[in-house]
Amino acid sequence: MNKDHEPRIVAFLCKWCSSAGSDMAGVSRLEYPPNVIPITVMCSGSVSPIYILSAFNLGADGVLVSGCHPGDCHYIKGNMYARRRMAFLKELLPYLGLEPERFQMSWVSAAEGVKFTQIIKDFVAQLKPLGPQTYLRRSL
Amino acid sequence: MEKILKKSDLGKWVGKLSAFDCYAPTKENDHWEFNQVTYLDSLPEDYTQVNVPLKKVVLPNREVLFNFEDNRNGGPHIQEVLPEEKEVVVFGVRGCDARGVALLSKIFSKSSPDIYFERRKNQLYVVGLSCYPLPGDNCFCLSVGGGPFSTQGMDILLSDIGGKYFVEVLTPKGEKLVELGWEFFAEPNDQDRQDRLRREKKAQEMFNLEIHEAEKKAGVLHHLFEDKIWKTESFRCLKCGICTYLCPTCHCFDIADELASPVPFQGKRVRVWDTCQFPDFTMHSSGHNPRPDKSSRLRQRIMHKFLYFVETYGEIMCTGCGRCVSKCPVGIDIVNILNRVESHEG
Amino acid sequence: MVKISDVRQEAKRLLEKGKVRGVVGYVPGTRGGWAIPYLIQEAERAEQLVWDPTCVHNLALFVVEEKKEQAKQKEPDKRPLAVMVKGCDSRAINVLLQEKFINREEVVLLGVSCENSGVVDRRKITHLLHGQQAGEIRFGDNGNIVVVVNGERRIFDPQEVLADRCLECQYNFPVVFDYFYGEKIKKTPPAPYAQVEKLESFSLEKRRQFWEEEMARCLRCYACRSVCPMCYCAECVVDPISFAVEPTTTAEEKAKKIKWIEKSPLLSENFVYHLVRAIHLAGRCVDCGECERVCPEGISIRLLNKKLEREALRLFNYVAGTDSQAPSLLSTFQETDPEDFIW
Repeated sequence: MNKDHEPRIVAFLCKWCSSAGSDMAGVSRLEYPPNVIPITVMCSGSVSPIYILSAFNLGADGVLVSGCHPGDCHYIKGNMYARRRMAFLKELLPYLGLEPERFQMSWVSAAEGVKFTQIIKDFVAQLKPLGPQTYLRRSL
Repeated sequence: MEKILKKSDLGKWVGKLSAFDCYAPTKENDHWEFNQVTYLDSLPEDYTQVNVPLKKVVLPNREVLFNFEDNRNGGPHIQEVLPEEKEVVVFGVRGCDARGVALLSKIFSKSSPDIYFERRKNQLYVVGLSCYPLPGDNCFCLSVGGGPFSTQGMDILLSDIGGKYFVEVLTPKGEKLVELGWEFFAEPNDQDRQDRLRREKKAQEMFNLEIHEAEKKAGVLHHLFEDKIWKTESFRCLKCGICTYLCPTCHCFDIADELASPVPFQGKRVRVWDTCQFPDFTMHSSGHNPRPDKSSRLRQRIMHKFLYFVETYGEIMCTGCGRCVSKCPVGIDIVNILNRVESHEG
Repeated sequence: MVKISDVRQEAKRLLEKGKVRGVVGYVPGTRGGWAIPYLIQEAERAEQLVWDPTCVHNLALFVVEEKKEQAKQKEPDKRPLAVMVKGCDSRAINVLLQEKFINREEVVLLGVSCENSGVVDRRKITHLLHGQQAGEIRFGDNGNIVVVVNGERRIFDPQEVLADRCLECQYNFPVVFDYFYGEKIKKTPPAPYAQVEKLESFSLEKRRQFWEEEMARCLRCYACRSVCPMCYCAECVVDPISFAVEPTTTAEEKAKKIKWIEKSPLLSENFVYHLVRAIHLAGRCVDCGECERVCPEGISIRLLNKKLEREALRLFNYVAGTDSQAPSLLSTFQETDPEDFIW
């Protein structure tokens, strides 16, 4: 596969934990690859599967959904619903033939700047050898 | 012009047509479709009728009309995208499908012709295959102005008379095709002509479905706008659109702008198939919908074919292919409805 | 054995007494005797009701349609609607009850058991009859199917002619009903998820190839969505034209309506359409098989829904439509839900 390809990752980050965690990485001057397009959502539970599929449809190579750890959700249980919903997507996409590495979910708290950078580094490293995502990508 | 072509020579003739894109019926998953082929040794013995009719060649499911992009000098720059200049030959076209395209021409090639349709139609060469035996149980072309050996809309009609085809060359386009493979065509003798006529007569007797006095339906339907048959028959309609999508003459379309990128502004305007059976087909931007219910939409589909088109163009817009009868998931039967419509049974 | 005369009698009684708005059931169709769904509103017409292996339709769909129709009326008929339901159809009703789309009093369920048989797959029958038209199709003994062709009686083993969904069915008699016809004979198919497992055994590349060939054929006729009782949304996220416009909808709302996918049948758009639909049916699809039956291109839609049905069972021990009082799959959670896939 194309080793020079820079994967483009769309990350849905919940405002209260994961997005704050990415800010923590920023203020701590921790470096992580610039491949991420962050989208702040109020809660991981508000992420509809159609956002993820639309991200792939518009050309994302990888999609990440990140929320608060179980028990820490700002809205009490939003992340619990997300956990169920995303489990289906995680099973369905490889079944269709989309590489399983392309969709990931994570728990990142506001203090976990280091974890966030590690997740992004790992994600980029996994996506690079796969090349660009053309399966669901719209081309007119 | 009449000729004879041995079945074993079909492939050789097609071999001479390499300048064209050749399409023939191929079987996938139990149903037939016209697909592009690079060679054609024979027209399969078990071939019945293609699923998606010939209209897909002249009116594709998705067709780009023009590209547009931002022009720094103000206003979008528009670049027309005409159909590719490539002549297309389709083999194995049944009378109903060929007639369907001919009827579509009446609409699309009027005073201000549709250039996309026109170009595709001009580049299309139709090599028909007569129906003996009938391709389906639900064929009723004979009762609506067609027939198993109909030639309307064809350039050549092939009739299988056992081991060879009786070739009827109907248009200059047909002559051009035959010329390219002249060495494979022979002159027919009287026996050949009789074989062909005999098969046509037998085929005409094979029909077990017909619309009674179809040409008089226009006069009858005129007074039945408010009849309750539309309500009772449409109760089970799923608004799925299959009847219209697979109909050789249905041609409604929608036009949409597809944006490839907002900045720089760039996209395409496309034409896609649409259907009067979708609830929002007639939705106005005010929110009013003149056909909000299934009974008005079913009435529209049937009246368009048997009344409105007849009033405008003098022909029935149904070719009797039977697809809507076979493929409707809930068995809405246009023939049955039209045969019962005067009884006011509902 | 289901005695259709009992069903007819009950339907007649309900109509005569004016207890129901109408009876949705199966009556003979016009070509070859394949049954069609019908709304009977006059008591004498109850005699037309039939029950045979061609009763493939999921009549729960018409409960949804009628509900929407009644909502549009100035003076809606508040009486319930009677409907004939098979096992799968009754589970669909349960999902509608669970999601509070309908109330229990709005339907009178005439439950019919498939016993040790089921409904037939038209393509299989056509294939076996070599194109000949079937005259009559009836239930035989021991689950066999009797087909009359040109006056000749032919008996088929259910394995040969039943729809795939019947061969994989684990709920072959109604789980919710007001009246029950037939016997409760529980079927336990040996491998209900065999087709899903087969696809899973393919390599990623081969799976991709399979689905690309399937989705390339999609015409976006939306028949699958139109026939599904679970797809009752007035406005579908992946249908760019279904837009619930009213006189009060502003121009701005119309202009800003999100278009998730293009209307044209490009491969990528077809994929997203089917994926979104499958996800929205997770834990709701009862595998009535109608989506695949109505598809004019014969796309393997059941293969998608069946996969999520198995995941619902495997991961969350959940089966759609068995308990109308239970919370729906995605509106609840357990502390012990799997999270091994989460970083």
